[in-house]
Amino acid sequence: MNNVADLRFIPSTLRQAQGERNKLWLLTGNPFVVYPQGVGRGCKGHSPQQHTLSLSNHERVMQLLRALMLLLCIGSAHAADTLHLYNWNNYISAQTISRFEAQCACRVVQDYYSDNEEMLAKLAAGATGYDLIVPTGNAAESLIRQRALRPLDKSALPNLKNIDPAFMNTTFDPGNKYSVPYAYTITLIGYNSEKVRNLNLPLDSWAVIFEPRYLEGLKGRVTVLDSQRELLAAALKYLGYSANDTDETHWKQARDLIIRAKPYWAAFNASSYIKELTIGNIWLVHGYSNDIFQADLDAQKAKRGFRILASIPKEGAVLALDSMVLHKSGPRPDLAHRFINFMLEGKNSSELTNLIGSGNPNLAARQYIKPEILKMPAVFPDRKQQTRLEMLHDLDRYQRRVLSRIWTEIKLR
Amino acid sequence: MRRGPWLWAAALAVYAFLYLPLTIVVVYSFNDSRLNAEWVGFTWHWYHVLLDDHEMLLAARNSLFIAVSSSLVATLLGTMAGIAMHRYNFKLLTFMVLTPVAMPEILLGVSLLLFFIQVLNLTLGIVSILLAHITFSIGFVAVIVRARLAGMDDSIFEAARDLGASPWETFRYITFPLILPAVIAGALMAFTLSIDDFVITFFTAGVGVQTLPLRIYSMIKIAVTPEVNAVSTLLMLLTLTMIVLASRFAPDVLKGKT
Amino acid sequence: MSEQRKLSRSVRLTKWLVSSPPFLFLLLFFVAPSAIMVLASFRYPGEFGGLAPLTASDPNILQGLTLETYRFFFSEFIYSYVFLKSFIVALVTTLICLVMAYPVALLIARSPKKSRDLMVLLVILPFASNFLIRVYSWMIILGPQAAFSKMVNGVLGALGIVPVHLLFSPFAVLVGMVYVHLPFMVLPLYTNLEKHDPTLLDAAQDLGANAWQRFWRVTFPLSLPGIYSGAALVFIPVLGMFAIPDILGGTGDMLIGNLIKEQFLSTRDWPFGSTLSIMLTIAVLLIVWLAARLGGRRHYA
Repeated sequence: MNNVADLRFIPSTLRQAQGERNKLWLLTGNPFVVYPQGVGRGCKGHSPQQHTLSLSNHERVMQLLRALMLLLCIGSAHAADTLHLYNWNNYISAQTISRFEAQCACRVVQDYYSDNEEMLAKLAAGATGYDLIVPTGNAAESLIRQRALRPLDKSALPNLKNIDPAFMNTTFDPGNKYSVPYAYTITLIGYNSEKVRNLNLPLDSWAVIFEPRYLEGLKGRVTVLDSQRELLAAALKYLGYSANDTDETHWKQARDLIIRAKPYWAAFNASSYIKELTIGNIWLVHGYSNDIFQADLDAQKAKRGFRILASIPKEGAVLALDSMVLHKSGPRPDLAHRFINFMLEGKNSSELTNLIGSGNPNLAARQYIKPEILKMPAVFPDRKQQTRLEMLHDLDRYQRRVLSRIWTEIKLR
Repeated sequence: MRRGPWLWAAALAVYAFLYLPLTIVVVYSFNDSRLNAEWVGFTWHWYHVLLDDHEMLLAARNSLFIAVSSSLVATLLGTMAGIAMHRYNFKLLTFMVLTPVAMPEILLGVSLLLFFIQVLNLTLGIVSILLAHITFSIGFVAVIVRARLAGMDDSIFEAARDLGASPWETFRYITFPLILPAVIAGALMAFTLSIDDFVITFFTAGVGVQTLPLRIYSMIKIAVTPEVNAVSTLLMLLTLTMIVLASRFAPDVLKGKT
Repeated sequence: MSEQRKLSRSVRLTKWLVSSPPFLFLLLFFVAPSAIMVLASFRYPGEFGGLAPLTASDPNILQGLTLETYRFFFSEFIYSYVFLKSFIVALVTTLICLVMAYPVALLIARSPKKSRDLMVLLVILPFASNFLIRVYSWMIILGPQAAFSKMVNGVLGALGIVPVHLLFSPFAVLVGMVYVHLPFMVLPLYTNLEKHDPTLLDAAQDLGANAWQRFWRVTFPLSLPGIYSGAALVFIPVLGMFAIPDILGGTGDMLIGNLIKEQFLSTRDWPFGSTLSIMLTIAVLLIVWLAARLGGRRHYA
């Protein structure tokens, strides 16, 4: 009954599994195991058992099975305790994540998107398995109407009281049945303090982006966001309309305004314009408040001799409130609730603001936020400025189609 | 025939045009600078960064797995299709096999996306990519196998039949050994196509699944560092090997003499 | 007699055995999706993206079939303009590829057999690199900090012309398109040129034709079938490209491929995306038919 010989290979593989986890994973791991969807459902992490000579047959079989399962699950040993987060690029600090992982003894797996539309399109194309998503108001509205979200269990969120009431009870989610405010950004004007100094520009108005007489001096040094909704909203606000105006004639006026200004713009850009601002190639942008904050930090760190400042135009601007929501296909709503409650703590919420300068709807976070950031109107606008800010609503399918056509015309004419 | 100096000059200029950009990619993968602008110094740094990049390794593993699996199935189905097209002159099958090859890839990607979501209700992931890759690879394998069969003398099959061999025996002892080089070449082509595919994978991958081309694409769009050069160089080496191997097995077909 | 019948039945059985698996696979994963796409172009857009249902119990929900996407396509000129623009880009790319590919193909065809294989392999090898890498390489070369761009702008500056951005421009898109598709033009052209009878050229020379006349009157017309197949192999893929304008293009460089991609992955307007795809398919079929007609004509030297 010499069964020991058969099982001699198990300890070595287990040792390999512990010691050289990555290499083995690369060579033998089952690819079906490491993805958000389906991960963790059948795979439980087991710690390897000591191999002794005196194991009964039954125990040896169980050991073999456990080794096999470990091999199969090598890429996700703690798959059962994984939270799947689908978030914007660069929208959470790595420290916050590791602190949460330590606190809950679980793993956070992140996927990223750079655009609400991209996220909605991917979800519409059948992506499943996300516990937590961080959509902006209009995208959250769309998800709520699609009944794609799990209602929140408020009893698991005692820290909810930390949020400023001004940000609760939004039009897209009255009563906060599905969403909890996370952070907000304002889409505004950012500029290089030195380069625009002598140009006599009305930096407190969208005219500096749309009027050729001001753009003359800025030719080739201006970028605008490559976002259909955002650019249209800026143009509508400048023309005196609401950012949520859906009148097609107004849209056509906005379109013509944009086409007229386009020759002076360097590019439509939503990602690398921060870098261009920082190095001084671009002097004025239509951009997100946290990106401009970042550019300013980088410019100061590199001692470039200029500051990147932000200004909220007097005609008004778009406020994007991003909220945490639970997708109904997420396998771990319990972990998701823990994460939300964790993020509602003042200290945790403040980390993002301190890192990227995003607006913070959490009152308990104020004491942890750096004082110079608290004073920035672009990050914490005062009451008067707040009245000029609007949140975007979702468009219906035909409005989206018309907008797409207008955007094509803008790009091609 | 004469190959005058002008012809040489023009042709060499075109060859230079073909190779210069790739040479720059390879050379700059060793450049000790974040910018792909001037040569600063030699370093293996970016290759180390590459090997530590877990997402990249995961993408590489997915690409390899998909390439191997899809090329195996595509070779099997493509060989059958090639034989059927040649032997039985099956017009409808010929049309179905060749059209995915001729159509712009975006059409195939988009129609598969629609099909997977609307009809199969399939969650996009590895399986959807696999099915998509097999679909476009079948055509290439079939063309290679059919070309090989067309270049052979059919009398050998008649002789076998006259001697009383059943179709299976004819296939096993005569056809298969003769077309084996084409089958292998087809398999290598299918492997190369799958590893390099971008457009179709882009539409059928969904979220959370990365392949090497998709990862390279997102790196190009978001943050370009010489790590992209490094992974490009390695990928080039791999597909280079595959193509050289394939050309050993079926030199005529790859030169376009179908 | 009965043995012959048994044999033919087993042959028929083999025919179905061999053809069925690929046939069924392609039926399911090529023919069916194409049919779905055609159907989708006649449906309403889904409320939150995607497609509206074909039938629904609630009559208030938008359902069924419609021609509205086709009407939308033709309602304003902008979409036809995008197609036109893509056609022109494809045509220019094909012409440039032809001009660049011809010397190479001619050189290979006229070289001794031994070197021919090597030269052909040298043409195919760049094709061995990933498509995105080939596009990315031009990002490096045309970038504002690279030597080439600095040189060009230096020359332009000396002439008093405003510096240009080489990257993210129509020029970059064209360069990218030509670069990626050049091998596709070389191979069919070379295959054709290789078959030319050298004595024809000798005869022409004896009759007093100079080098250019020999080329234009003899070689070129004989190579037309090769040119047509090469042109088809370049024109059709360029029509459907979106990655090159996406990576190398500026703001105005939107081609039909980009538009289709946007409908599916951004606007979520799947019916309209399908309509655009159908229109692209029709365009491609027209080109193929044209190439077949032209390539089938005989030319006499």
